[in-house]
Amino acid sequence: MSTERRKERIDRPIKAVTDDIFCLSSIREIAYLVIPRMLPVVGLLLLAFLVPPYWRKVMVITFVMGMMALSWDFMASCGLTSLGQALFFALGAYSAGAANHYLGLPIYLSIPLGTLIGAVISTACIYPTLGLRGIYFSVVTLIIPLMLMRVVETTGIFGGTEGITGLSPFPGIIVTIALSMIALWITFFGLRRLIDSDYGHIFVALKDNDRAVEASGLSIRWFKVQAIFIGSGICCFCGAFMTHYYMSIGMSAFAVDLSIFPIAASVVGGMGTLVGPLLGAIILGPLSEALRAFGSFRVVIYAALLGTFIVMLPEGLFPYLARKYQQIERWVEAPGGISED
Amino acid sequence: MLLSVLVYGFINSVILAMVALGFSITFGISRVANFSHGGFYILGGIFTWYGLIKLGMPYFLSAGLSIIIIGALGALMYKVILIRLRGLELSEVIATLSLGIVILELLRGLGVFGYEFRNPVFMDGSVDILGVGVGIQRIIIVCAGALLLILLHFFVHHTKMGLAFRGVAQQEHTALSVGINPDLVSMLSLAMGSVMCALSAVLILPLGVISVDEGYDILIKALAVCIIGGLESTLGVLVAAFIIGYIEVLTSMYISSALTSVVPLACMLGILLVRPSGIFGKSKEIEERV
Amino acid sequence: MAISKILSKTVMLLVAFLFIASQAAFAAPAEKGAPIIIGVPSSFKSIEAAEGLKAITLAVEEINAKGGVKVGNEKKMLKIESIETRDMEPGVPLADALLANEKLILEKKPHVIIQGPTRSEVLLAAMDLYAQYKIPSINNAVASKFVDQYKSNPEKYRHCFRMFDGKYVVAGLGKVMEKMNKEFGFKKAYIVVQDAIWAVGIANGMNAWYKNNGWEVVGFDKYPTGASDFSSTLIKAKNAGVQVVFPIFDMPQSGILVQQWKDMKVPAVFAGFISPLMGSNAWKTFGEKIEGVINIVFDGGNLPLSKYPPAKKFYEAYAKRWGEMQVGHKPAVDYDGVYAMVGAIERAGSLDPDKIAIELEKTNMVGATGRIHFKDHQYVFGDDPKVDAISVVYQWKKGGKRVPIYPDSVAEGVIEKPASMQ
Repeated sequence: MSTERRKERIDRPIKAVTDDIFCLSSIREIAYLVIPRMLPVVGLLLLAFLVPPYWRKVMVITFVMGMMALSWDFMASCGLTSLGQALFFALGAYSAGAANHYLGLPIYLSIPLGTLIGAVISTACIYPTLGLRGIYFSVVTLIIPLMLMRVVETTGIFGGTEGITGLSPFPGIIVTIALSMIALWITFFGLRRLIDSDYGHIFVALKDNDRAVEASGLSIRWFKVQAIFIGSGICCFCGAFMTHYYMSIGMSAFAVDLSIFPIAASVVGGMGTLVGPLLGAIILGPLSEALRAFGSFRVVIYAALLGTFIVMLPEGLFPYLARKYQQIERWVEAPGGISED
Repeated sequence: MLLSVLVYGFINSVILAMVALGFSITFGISRVANFSHGGFYILGGIFTWYGLIKLGMPYFLSAGLSIIIIGALGALMYKVILIRLRGLELSEVIATLSLGIVILELLRGLGVFGYEFRNPVFMDGSVDILGVGVGIQRIIIVCAGALLLILLHFFVHHTKMGLAFRGVAQQEHTALSVGINPDLVSMLSLAMGSVMCALSAVLILPLGVISVDEGYDILIKALAVCIIGGLESTLGVLVAAFIIGYIEVLTSMYISSALTSVVPLACMLGILLVRPSGIFGKSKEIEERV
Repeated sequence: MAISKILSKTVMLLVAFLFIASQAAFAAPAEKGAPIIIGVPSSFKSIEAAEGLKAITLAVEEINAKGGVKVGNEKKMLKIESIETRDMEPGVPLADALLANEKLILEKKPHVIIQGPTRSEVLLAAMDLYAQYKIPSINNAVASKFVDQYKSNPEKYRHCFRMFDGKYVVAGLGKVMEKMNKEFGFKKAYIVVQDAIWAVGIANGMNAWYKNNGWEVVGFDKYPTGASDFSSTLIKAKNAGVQVVFPIFDMPQSGILVQQWKDMKVPAVFAGFISPLMGSNAWKTFGEKIEGVINIVFDGGNLPLSKYPPAKKFYEAYAKRWGEMQVGHKPAVDYDGVYAMVGAIERAGSLDPDKIAIELEKTNMVGATGRIHFKDHQYVFGDDPKVDAISVVYQWKKGGKRVPIYPDSVAEGVIEKPASMQ
């Protein structure tokens, strides 16, 4: 009889019955739970205001990208794997830019309006593909932004290749950074609450078993429309926000980079967890800034990282870290050998 | 005018079909959507250029070698990356897409930009077809495309390996139970798709200059053709290529050349609205339609 | 209690750590004192921008070899800090390109900026940035709206200057068309352009020119970037008996256009701007197919003009340092830009941006492109290199020679009909 070893994983003793009911008996145990939850909130708050001016801008972009990643993750949890978040971003950006430039609306109106209009148009654009499962949705979302980019280029609407410049700015960098951070946390906690509600379970079921949804007398298409509306609305807000932040809007809002980043952040952080994409964005945002010195190779490193993670650590960083944190691991002897199952 | 639409539409369609065929073959057999198609296409062109211009090899040798290398690369990609992700559609898409981006951006970073990256045409000169002057290279492309289709048909329908391919495409588990190794077949399908991709690059790229951005364009074109035709159907790819090919030429001839790249994509959206699984994508309709 | 103390200590430690870490990680490099820093934010994966940077490097090396720049009583060296903005690559968001500009400004603290972003859209947005940080800049994007934007607020944009404008292409090629009309009786033209604002802008200008001068414009086709089949244009042109095809392209695929022109035996002259056919290597790449093509070099100094010695001198110095130039746009004006900037700094006697901007406006110097002076913060182009900066039109002739045919002050040959028309 061979004596092989196996890794035993035991939950730490504070966990009782389910994942979110705990048995706490000391402040130490409270700290054990609270610190990892407080760390990102407090850490980001400090980081955002302590770093030098240039890096503050990086933080703003990181927060916005974090929101895009959250929205991607939400849509992916509903079985809608988008390869074109840039589409939603751009539609929000153009709506807000147009509202500000052509209608002369002030910034506090143009951003919400841009978000709303953008989300409606996005949903309409995606509607034809909602009857399909699988890679159709991905392919179409990859193609539509490129097509709209050409449309803007060809017809010259909204300033054509030169875009619209001179939009109203935010009052200052502190306001910008505070707004983006608040928006990020609202998105994050809002989505988490949504997914956990009964209403949110329908969305998750769209991915896991859409026929069960249909069997329950609910329209798959209609719920997919709602999922798209919520997901694209978040990206549209990002677009509207960035438009005003940079005071200009151009064709590059459809850029592929904007579609790749949310995917990369989600894959690196851990898909389907909501915290994961956030973690991924917080890692990748500053990292991509640090990689700027590499010029074109930056994208190479980026894409290589994405590929490596999806192959080597498909669950993502967050579930991996969470497991390490919440479980005791040890090697034990397995006298009967390890069964193949 | 009409005659020239006929001639150039035909050539354009054959080019589109060749570009899309590699993607469709791979997907049809192994259900892997190879998003690194564009990367392989440009890489095939660059290898040929390097062998021909930098190493001074004869044209057919350097072209042949690069086709073989790209084919091996496709097989390697399956063996190293995709085999771990089989069945996870999303992961497959992300993995192949990121590989494609790595290839293309690496080439860009290594200095593949500018105008010297150009493969010469096989044979210079032009002939008149129906009174329209056509470069010999384009005629070679059409002939090669036709030859390729015939070979492909023969391979799939009249060889044992082709039978195995069709078996895996229809029912992987059943194929396994009669002794076909689906992993081997999938690997070969990727190699085959990549070979076709490199072959089309060798044939088509001499018409212009090798540029990284074209890699992305090619991927988009291949996807559009495949989606319109039905992702796995070779006949669908042909029909769709001819539809898009002629629509493109007609648009640029009679409406506006600026719209040539928008029209096929708009077609695609229209087709999706009416027939979600493409013109010939029948077998998938029950599964894919929700 | 003890535990809450530990907790608060941990938090404090964490705060302190984060603070220190952030200060250490993000601290900007200390000011090193001496050199004048020239910032070059551009997209170096475009061949024009890459060669422009080489020309800037050449100018800086020349000036440093002579002992540097005299600022007040002090001699200062020049130093180049370039950053890759990637703005010519499709798929790069505007925000990212701007961030690269801002990173350069905040971290390298350039005193002046030469060349600037490549894409028009990015330049227009970056002008606000340069105005905000008050950095004198001589930019190079062909943005048609530059002068409009400058004029919209001359006070705010007083530090922004620009080298080339698309309207000078129309002026130069218009004269060439006139010549062809006189010599060969040409009066039917076909316009075919890349669908990008700068190119379409130039084409619109040319279209208006044709109309005003009694030409017939048979067609006006725009092709999206990346198009690879131009047969429809050529067929239409051939059927209508067009004598001149006017192309404006900088995408690599535009070489196909000329190839198809020969394959389809279209009896017309190609006269315009096709970037892949610009450099001396084009003859090697495309062979005799390009014989007879007429191309415009935006900045005169990018051709070795034997009738204008400064251009020839620059071209040869460049060839000696970097190998032969392959582009028709950027190197010469960038090279002149460094000298114009250095001249302004020396006259201002300080690095104060406002003083430099005022002196830049007064620039009047002999450069590789011609005589450099500004109007509305824009280089003035004309017919004579001794008076203004010039663009040069040349024709590819037998044996792979680029023969300048316009302006007359530097012309070395006359326009010939291509073989297909004889």
